[in-house]
Amino acid sequence: MTDLFVDEYPEQARLVRAAFLTSFVALGIGALFGVIQALHRTGVFRIVESTTYYTVLTGHGVFLVITFTIFFLVGLYQWAVTDSLQRGPVDARLTWSWYGLMSVGTLIAAIAILAGFLDDPPDVLGSELSADVLFTFYAPLQANPIFYAGLVLFVVGTWLAGADWFRTWWAWKRDHPGERIPLPTFMVLTTMIMWYISSIGVAVAILAFILPWSLGLIDSLNPTLTRTLFWYFGHPVVYFWLLPAYLLWYIVLPKLSGGRLFSDPLARVVFILFVLLSTPVGIHHQYLDPGISEGFKFIAMTNTMFLLLPSLLTAFTVVASMEHGARQRGGTGTLNWLRALPWKDPAFTGMALAGLVFAFGGFTGIVNAGMNINYLVHNSLWVPGHIHTQVGTAVALTFMAGSYWLVPQLTGNRLVGRQIALFQVVLWFVGIVFMTNSMYRAGLIGVPRRSAEPQYAFDYEVGVGSMTELDVQLALGGVLLFVSTVLFLAIILLTAFNTDSDPLVDGTIPPALSGPEDSPRVLDDLRVWIGIALVLVVIAYAIPLASIVDRGGLFGPDVGPFPVVVDGVMYLQHGVAYVGVLIT
Amino acid sequence: MRISPAKLLIVIALCLVVLVEARTILAFFDVEVSVLEIALVGVVAITALVVWAVRPADEETSEP
Repeated sequence: MTDLFVDEYPEQARLVRAAFLTSFVALGIGALFGVIQALHRTGVFRIVESTTYYTVLTGHGVFLVITFTIFFLVGLYQWAVTDSLQRGPVDARLTWSWYGLMSVGTLIAAIAILAGFLDDPPDVLGSELSADVLFTFYAPLQANPIFYAGLVLFVVGTWLAGADWFRTWWAWKRDHPGERIPLPTFMVLTTMIMWYISSIGVAVAILAFILPWSLGLIDSLNPTLTRTLFWYFGHPVVYFWLLPAYLLWYIVLPKLSGGRLFSDPLARVVFILFVLLSTPVGIHHQYLDPGISEGFKFIAMTNTMFLLLPSLLTAFTVVASMEHGARQRGGTGTLNWLRALPWKDPAFTGMALAGLVFAFGGFTGIVNAGMNINYLVHNSLWVPGHIHTQVGTAVALTFMAGSYWLVPQLTGNRLVGRQIALFQVVLWFVGIVFMTNSMYRAGLIGVPRRSAEPQYAFDYEVGVGSMTELDVQLALGGVLLFVSTVLFLAIILLTAFNTDSDPLVDGTIPPALSGPEDSPRVLDDLRVWIGIALVLVVIAYAIPLASIVDRGGLFGPDVGPFPVVVDGVMYLQHGVAYVGVLIT
Repeated sequence: MRISPAKLLIVIALCLVVLVEARTILAFFDVEVSVLEIALVGVVAITALVVWAVRPADEETSEP
């Protein structure tokens, strides 16, 4: 048993704890909003008006996929850099600055979102305080300017975090000339390169167009342009959520299995592939958008299909590492080794189940990415089904499981309720299966997503069972997930206060079976991969963006803000009623 | 017990996955199963699993 992280790096442990605390607060609020939605749209139980549903929906998206995931990421990456380089940051003031900036940004954006619950929101900066614009906040939906200002501060905070980690690595490199970058730090640096390249899209969209538009400085914008810039960032952000989970699968899961990582070089190749391929794929979210030629949509589809490669490499490497661990524990046979894995460890089981769900969700992602079959599921409930298997389980469940391993090392306290923790991760797995099975099936028959009232004046032709059954299944899954979240938060809270105890955890990470010396040094030459990534981005985006600007102009064909959704729902209801009268 | 409580919990969870997905898959082959029927199959399967799991293993029963 080695010294705990909190004993070796108390200042860094404090920062990681602070980041995790923010992350988990967001998880609690986001999960509450999630169960409200699940019960509302299925008609099981309604505690908000349908118009307020979109406030809940925006909060659910932003608090979970921005705040929960990215605060966990910065905490985890701070741990990974410190632990693998065995040193703290060059300047702790910078470290606390980016954490502060991210927190202030979150707070400002949260105020704008939560103001949606007020009957009479105040005017701020010339417009009503509200941000019912969903996580994908592109035009013509318009939020109060402070929502965008909060997002900008948050993103700048993440950029500074990356700069902090690069600075720490450069300082380490001066003291260790010629040494290979330790794998966890390599993963952190490559993730941040991908993030710098991709988040520039949303930064331009907000700073050049959406924020001035919401402040009334410009009259209109080009929705296709801002949507394209959003999705330039919108797909890679998925990998920004996912890569910390990959880090845990590559670095921690083999150790928990009782073995060692199968191949360090393969892990490096996987992260490089994400640097190269994450960004030039965003147009696959716009298959149904007019104004982008089919040829470039085809290029985006091809690039997206290449992204399967790092995921398949990961499946191979991680499962091989688990098998190695199981055999070290006495496992034998072709599949019987699975029984030798440490299933009673909630950290292991949570990550293993998350990986299983990720594999299934990956196949549904192929449907989303295919130009032809995407038309079948586009904007249907299938898409939230996919998101909940990927970020909602592969990422979220891995983070929760990883917390069971990491939090005792950050606090010096023993994990409380180990058996309940095991039940919690299994409950999440069961909940997500119920909920996403319903979502996928409902999506296939055209049930829309992002709607408080998906029950139109016609009956869906459900292939198997009934719509009621799908609704009940979705609501049940949502409730199980919420209960699981509450259990997780309770366990972490009790662990944080379990000061009169010693943790039963070993934080040492064993070396890989095949180490970095088995791979060419060019893998560590980050400049090469940045250069190739930028070339791919130019190939994928230069002509489509030029075409969009050429046709619609930078500030668009006079598109004003749409009055968000309240009137939209009203018009829709009138329209449906009118058509109903005509038919009858 | 034949398997540990942790493994039993996970096997039950995997059973639930099979039960949830089974109706859809069976429908591909024109085998329509109602919710009640699949729930009944589930109760029987999980009960059998639990009974099998909690019974002493062969080596345990042979011990004096």
